[in-house]
Amino acid sequence: MSTLKLKDVEIVETFAEAFPMVGTRIIITAPTLEWALIAARTMTGFATSVIACGAEAGIERELNPSETLDGRPGVSVLVFAMETEKLQRQLRNRVGQCVLTSPGSACFAGLDGERKLKLGASLRFFGDGWQMSKMIGGRRFWRIPVMDGEFVCEEKVGLTKKAVGGGNLLVLGRSHAGVLAACERAVKAIGACGEVITPFPGGVVRSGSKVGSRYKGQIASTNDAYCPTLKGAVNTELPLDVEAVMEVVIDGLTAPAIAKAMRAGIHAIAQGGAVAGVTHISAGNYGGNLGPHHFHLKEIIA
Amino acid sequence: MSALTLKFAIKSKQRFDLSLLTPQRLAGLNAGEIAALIIGTTRDPVTVGDVFKLKGNEAAKLRLVGTNANCDRIGQRMTEGEIIVDGDAGAYLGSLMRGGTINVSGSAGPFAGAAMAGGVIEIAGDAGDRAGGIVVGESFGMRGGRLTIGGKAGAMLGERMRRGLIVVSGGAGDYAGARMIAGTILIKGRVGRWAGYGLRRGSLILSKEPKDLLPTFGDCGTLDFNYLRLLERHLRATCAQVKFKPRARRLIGDMAVLGKGEMLILA
Repeated sequence: MSTLKLKDVEIVETFAEAFPMVGTRIIITAPTLEWALIAARTMTGFATSVIACGAEAGIERELNPSETLDGRPGVSVLVFAMETEKLQRQLRNRVGQCVLTSPGSACFAGLDGERKLKLGASLRFFGDGWQMSKMIGGRRFWRIPVMDGEFVCEEKVGLTKKAVGGGNLLVLGRSHAGVLAACERAVKAIGACGEVITPFPGGVVRSGSKVGSRYKGQIASTNDAYCPTLKGAVNTELPLDVEAVMEVVIDGLTAPAIAKAMRAGIHAIAQGGAVAGVTHISAGNYGGNLGPHHFHLKEIIA
Repeated sequence: MSALTLKFAIKSKQRFDLSLLTPQRLAGLNAGEIAALIIGTTRDPVTVGDVFKLKGNEAAKLRLVGTNANCDRIGQRMTEGEIIVDGDAGAYLGSLMRGGTINVSGSAGPFAGAAMAGGVIEIAGDAGDRAGGIVVGESFGMRGGRLTIGGKAGAMLGERMRRGLIVVSGGAGDYAGARMIAGTILIKGRVGRWAGYGLRRGSLILSKEPKDLLPTFGDCGTLDFNYLRLLERHLRATCAQVKFKPRARRLIGDMAVLGKGEMLILA
């Protein structure tokens, strides 16, 4: 069997296994892009993995004033969870604590859909009776009085049940710096794709997990097959010269968006990767029995 | 298929009730049946054929040409389609309408868009008293949709209005937005006395400060409103050539009633 190589980086013949999620998109605007980013970063903080964060969230992209409803600079944010009810609770708490509180902010729906999540519909009660509802062009907005004026927040936002979480790429290499730089390139390229986020710190995970543990009550534990320090002790997946493995995890509103993002990521990693020590691009899966979405690397770069 | 055109062809002092001439009522009728519809309001049974010359057959796009202020109830209770009025309209233009669009090149009489629940009315000229207001037998005034008045509006504009948008490019008479329950009224010109009388909720947005403000409104000072940005962009995209800063003096009231409404006087 011939090995598939891209710019001297081996593409392992495997697939990323991903899961259905529910997702939504909101638009945050502010007097300046910097303040829109502050609100967005705050509300997407501690949202790397549903395992313990309740939601996975991230900034999709920045928006020009011409792209937002109020003509101010904005940021679009994607939020994902495993169930609608959990997504609703996370959205309410995160927008309520992190966007409502942020100076000059406003919050709008970024996704349409038959099924809706409450946005201003629950946050309006902060107005203590002084909130005002306004219908503009068939959409309802709440004006909630706050200390710097008014927080304008759309009543509802659509949700999609076709979202996909856990698209991923594993980057193997002979140097930590080379792998990290490759992942940074991938995250940047994926960021330009739209409809996707990379929820982990800077988009990169260094602690990939396997399901289960030897300890009771621990549902996930370190992916020993990919730990370079355990190569001699476990059933390793790593060649002897691999020193570091990092993963880029991708959540998206649709499966095709994940595939597109993975493709962009693979090409960005391979670009100059071999010179810097990147040896393989692989992907994480659980044997294919857990998640319905399988993204085969070979098909993605074809 | 071409637009069904009714050309006003006689001189008469009688008032006509044109409420039957809506796209949904005319759908499926042939020219003879339409001509036989009775529109008179006196003991003389005047029909459409007596007054109008008919042309075309597409009732969903109705054109009324040469109408005058005696032509009442144009588009009343309309639910769909389009009526273009090339002339003036009488009383009750589009009152109680639920959908569709009405375009009037001239002016309209009293009760234009009164108690309308949906759809769009655009009047290039003036509107009489009680535009977007309440009609006998109804609990509320305008309940939805949009009413655009290119000229001036009369007294009692948007009385008991509950939802929807009224934009007036000229001024308005006394009691603009009286007893409003909710909704939005934007008036670019001067308003008469007692604007916002009995305002419960809703926004009465004025480009010019009224000569006398009701004492039952509380001054909140001049502030920035992101809401005005949304409104301005929406108006520019849909119906009106407006330009204003997102800054206004906010007067909250009417404290004589619920007091959760506002007058925004644009800065």
